[in-house]
Amino acid sequence: MSAALAFRPRTLAAWWPAGLLAALVACAILAPWLAPMDPDRQNLMARLKAPGFEARGALYLLGSDELGRDVLSRVIHGARVSIVVAVSSVLLSGVVGVAVGMLAAYLRGWVETVLMRLVDIFLSIPAILLAIITVAVLGPGFINVILVLALTRWPRYARVAYGQTLALADRPFVRLSRAMGASTPRVLALHILPNIIGPLLVVATLEFGLMVLFEAGLSFLGLGVQPPMASWGAMLSTGRNYIATAWWIATFPGLALFLLVLSANLIGDRLGDLIGKGR
Amino acid sequence: MGRFLLQRSGQALVAIFGVVTLVFFIQRLTGDPVLLLVPETATQEDIEAMRRTLGLDRALWVQYLDFLRDMASFDLGRSYIRNAPVWDILLSRLPQTLQLAAGALVVALVIGLPLGLVMALTQGRPVSRVIMGIVLAFQSLPTFWSGIMMILLFGVTLKWLPPSGTGTLAHLVMPSIALGLLSLATYARIARASVLDELSKDYIRSARMRGVGTGRLVRRHLLRNAAIPVISITALEISQLLAGAVIVETVFAWPGLGLLTVQSIAARDFMVVQAVVLLGAFVTIAANFAADILYTVVDPRVRLTKS
Amino acid sequence: MKTLRQGLYTSAAILALSLPAMARDLTIDLSGEPATLDPHQQWNPDSYYVYRNIFDNVVTRDNDGTIVPQIATEWEYTSDTELVLTIREGVTFHDGSPLTAEDVAYSVSRIIEPEFGSPQLGQFNSITSAEVMDGNKVKLTTKSPYPALLAQLVKLSVVPKAIVEEVGTDAFNEAPVGSGPYAFDTWDKGVSVTLTQNGDYWGDMGPFETAVFRAVPDAATRIADLQAGAADLVVGLDSDGALQLAGNPDVKVLSAPTERVAYLGWNVDKPPFNDPDLRRAASLAIDSAGIAEGLLGAGEVPMAQLSSPAHFGYAEGIAPFEYDPEQAAEIVASKADIAATPVTFATAPVFDQRVVQAIQQMLNDVGFDVSISMTDMPTYLAAARAADRAERPELSFGRWSCACQDADGIAYPLLHSGSSWSRINDPELDSLLDEARTSLDESVRQAAYEKVHQIVREQYLTRPIYQAAVLYGANAALEFTPTANESLFLNRMSWSE
Repeated sequence: MSAALAFRPRTLAAWWPAGLLAALVACAILAPWLAPMDPDRQNLMARLKAPGFEARGALYLLGSDELGRDVLSRVIHGARVSIVVAVSSVLLSGVVGVAVGMLAAYLRGWVETVLMRLVDIFLSIPAILLAIITVAVLGPGFINVILVLALTRWPRYARVAYGQTLALADRPFVRLSRAMGASTPRVLALHILPNIIGPLLVVATLEFGLMVLFEAGLSFLGLGVQPPMASWGAMLSTGRNYIATAWWIATFPGLALFLLVLSANLIGDRLGDLIGKGR
Repeated sequence: MGRFLLQRSGQALVAIFGVVTLVFFIQRLTGDPVLLLVPETATQEDIEAMRRTLGLDRALWVQYLDFLRDMASFDLGRSYIRNAPVWDILLSRLPQTLQLAAGALVVALVIGLPLGLVMALTQGRPVSRVIMGIVLAFQSLPTFWSGIMMILLFGVTLKWLPPSGTGTLAHLVMPSIALGLLSLATYARIARASVLDELSKDYIRSARMRGVGTGRLVRRHLLRNAAIPVISITALEISQLLAGAVIVETVFAWPGLGLLTVQSIAARDFMVVQAVVLLGAFVTIAANFAADILYTVVDPRVRLTKS
Repeated sequence: MKTLRQGLYTSAAILALSLPAMARDLTIDLSGEPATLDPHQQWNPDSYYVYRNIFDNVVTRDNDGTIVPQIATEWEYTSDTELVLTIREGVTFHDGSPLTAEDVAYSVSRIIEPEFGSPQLGQFNSITSAEVMDGNKVKLTTKSPYPALLAQLVKLSVVPKAIVEEVGTDAFNEAPVGSGPYAFDTWDKGVSVTLTQNGDYWGDMGPFETAVFRAVPDAATRIADLQAGAADLVVGLDSDGALQLAGNPDVKVLSAPTERVAYLGWNVDKPPFNDPDLRRAASLAIDSAGIAEGLLGAGEVPMAQLSSPAHFGYAEGIAPFEYDPEQAAEIVASKADIAATPVTFATAPVFDQRVVQAIQQMLNDVGFDVSISMTDMPTYLAAARAADRAERPELSFGRWSCACQDADGIAYPLLHSGSSWSRINDPELDSLLDEARTSLDESVRQAAYEKVHQIVREQYLTRPIYQAAVLYGANAALEFTPTANESLFLNRMSWSE
């Protein structure tokens, strides 16, 4: 055991949400090895069986769903959808949003006007409208769910990045490097980004949790990943129709989703405290 | 001041125009309402005839010019599906949406702000962490799940509240909570941060040294000064509440604008979608505008021209 | 005035909450609100469930599905293209004015007028004119002999000419006046429509003083409403939802076989289903009984033709489809190169996703490569009815209802090469379908349909799976017999004592 661990057990303990998140991510990565069954394998003779049900040597540890699929295997595989969708959409919207925000604040003038009005426009279009249109134009599917989420969320990063960059753009070190002929990408990447990354990380962590919930919401509205792919959101929205008769279908993915979002929220909260700025 | 207002209004109008134009064109990329309107047995000729009746067979730019002309005279057009003026449909849904947004705001403010205050005052103690954990937990459940659970518990098992629908104050309780819980953590966090910020300032320290009690401090100084961030976040939340209530409205059969939006998009009822988006854009921009003005009322030190 | 009224409703609602025992009124949860209450302006179930109680139709079907008099007491073909209706005497609209042959003729003329733009135009545009004869008779003239005419008139509501012309279309939609057993009272937009009993109705009016149709989009919420006693009848239940109601003595599940035939349609112009052997293999892979009984289990019956016993044109003796996945796998293996073509299974949320996913698995199990593409309804419809037949989906699942209980309504659109749904181009089928569509001789029509079903069965042109059932959740005290055409007539419901 290292000295740091021994000396600061309380600080470390405060980071348990990170451990939880790591465990869920590991679960997603190792899904094919962890899951006891094929998550899409149906068995119409074993529909809606309670946890612990056993048939022909197969043990349904967390029960079976409305098509006789193993809930445990689907929960494990569902981690992939939730986490990959959330990570990708946060990355995509973060990169685009931050770039737009920084450029607008740094270059000012007509670039600022055009970009920030574009941000306003996207903020005013209902997310659900964008979702339906994306699915109608590009077709349904996993990649397009990510695209939908990124399309609706990038303006938020743009807003934060814009505000933060504005405050920095007139600082002496930025002016100096500009005067010395540094290119715009260079100034933004080397001088501005490192100084605004903190608050952006906080936003991104909180957005991560939100994206997991959004993906679930899209599934509820029939716009999520394609069946039969297992996703926590899809399992929850189907399973809520079975609460009285087969509580396990929704409860286990619900619990997993809750833990994922909660850990992201707690980490974001903690990061925010560290940086000294709430959202 | 006057020039600032003018400039801002001008930019707002441009943004609204952009939104509406964008929505006009992109939603027409997704097909049209005709196939949903006609019976399954309708022939290709029936379908074409219906398309002509609705004017959807015309060139896109002709339809757009038509739309702009109507806009200019504040005519929002007619719903294809309901065959009624869009204005009437919008106005019939607005009160429901406002009620729900108000209810959710009350829930978020009445619970969120005191929790934030308590967290700030107990900063560093386990109480603070526990409260934050609970608040964040509320935010970590999908609404379509927590909503049906509330209905089953309070509506079916305990029979304390009507399970769905509108009409009485009792109907408003569950949807407001379901929607309000989402914003609650935001408020708690903001309240905590701004109270902590104020607590570290000199005037509070000196007041404390003079022996002014916590309760008095909170009432006389803290709340007032912590109000600004709360106002600005409320402006953002209001537009969120108007647009983001879709799932709550679906689960609780609450006929607000969110549900109308989803149903209209699902039916490709273009005119209604455009109108809702237009209204949403107005509200978003107006709320932010109102927030700016409120700052000056709450705290005279802030002047509009500064921004 | 309006606020006073609303206030009264609010207090009434509170009263109703505190006195659940006095359940003389009826509350029905639908999934959406009516699009319009003008019966000629739309075509969707949430609308006609409501307005068919406000308006009388020209004729109707009894609970067994037989066409019986309503506003027309008698009908007679005076030639192959002319039908004369005798109009019931003594019927009045809710404003007290008498319903005359004039109103019936007006209602027909209104809906077939292209300028009026009714979405239902296609159901009635084989009628060319409606004229009043001898005071209480109406003569309908059709373009050509049209055997489905009476079945269509089941869906034609009679509106009062004088009122519609006086107030105009918009106002009539806001406050419709009909002659039915229930009169329009209020329409709380987005929430509910309230009807009150028409004490002067000429026939049976049912026991309810008022009836409220509410819009509740979420199926789980509708079930909760029923369990909480907030609703007396809910639609859109499936067998798994019905399970939730089991063991609750206050509620019950009602079901009936419908005129919907669930089928798997494929595009016979594109691989792999352009190959008859592979169509047969796919058919062998599908376990109709497993889906109907094991998965659904609400009274669905396996079917081997695009008609149910509830339809005219149902053929006895069509051999059931075999289920033999081993043989299917062998066929697929012998044609592995074609069978490996990826297949898109187009669907929308409105179709039962349990069935769609089960079919996908059954097909993939024998070696096909099927993936599901779920989009919203307009996107699905645009693909399913694409102008170019080859563009229509390789695979789709449907539960077809024409609301006409005639084989023409299913077989023609799904099989005739001229229809925008059809993925089939077979001259023999076309001529049989045309013959059956234009003959008034029932035996000629029956023979044609039997042949159609036989051809479809032999060549696996589509794969009928089962006759769908409809399920309702109801208060235990509500007496209601669901029918094949899924109608909700209030005057056929009552409270048991």
